[in-house]
Amino acid sequence: MDLMKLVIRLLPTRVVLAHCDIPCGIYDPHAAQLAAKTVLKMVSLINELQPSVSEPPFDERKKIISQISRLTRVKEDHAELCKREILILWTDYFKAEHLEKFPNLHDLVWKVTKLCSENKRTVDEGKAAELIEAVDKIAEVFEQTKK
Amino acid sequence: MNIFPIQRFTIHGNSMFPTLRSGQDVLCFNWAYIFSKPKKGDMVIVQSAKFKVQSEIVKRIQKVEGNKVYLIGDNARYSTDSRNFGLIDQSEIIGKVIFVR
Repeated sequence: MDLMKLVIRLLPTRVVLAHCDIPCGIYDPHAAQLAAKTVLKMVSLINELQPSVSEPPFDERKKIISQISRLTRVKEDHAELCKREILILWTDYFKAEHLEKFPNLHDLVWKVTKLCSENKRTVDEGKAAELIEAVDKIAEVFEQTKK
Repeated sequence: MNIFPIQRFTIHGNSMFPTLRSGQDVLCFNWAYIFSKPKKGDMVIVQSAKFKVQSEIVKRIQKVEGNKVYLIGDNARYSTDSRNFGLIDQSEIIGKVIFVR
């Protein structure tokens, strides 16, 4: 095997494709669905936070603020991720013929991306649930196009 | 038939993941099928007019049917292979992957 290692180092190389027509691309709505669920989970966790007394001591406030910051960050990141994943499907995966079959596709994408932004701004379980539902609709369309 | 017995290739793409990762180098034995026949399980480098791409591709032989082979990627879900382009003539096989770095 050492000889092989030497040979492989000495030879010039060229590209061979381990190839997939979708350029290395992996199109799957699952990432967006997961991100949407994460948003809801983070909103719930933020809403569950309760102080031990109505005017908690400074140390406890620090902990709560720190916790909220962390949860909010994950919420924002995943809302952004969800938006990005959906936009990738929209721009790279879906084709004109899909749009003919599913004329509401543009609207669905528009709605999801708007909901992503809204979920960044708000802490609202209703909006987060709406996002999950809307993403699921796009996932359904995606599944239909795979048949 | 290539006059050089051995050729080096650099993998691009994920259809043979995890066996081959993008960026890895392999050695292809161009004379592998002079005295023996391609067989099921061989990892081969192929060039065919049937491909949408100009470049050679690397896949694994899943079936041998007469003098044609049916190719499939190890990472079948993310692979464009005989399921798309059908059987490939044995004469279109460049060689067999004999070493992966």
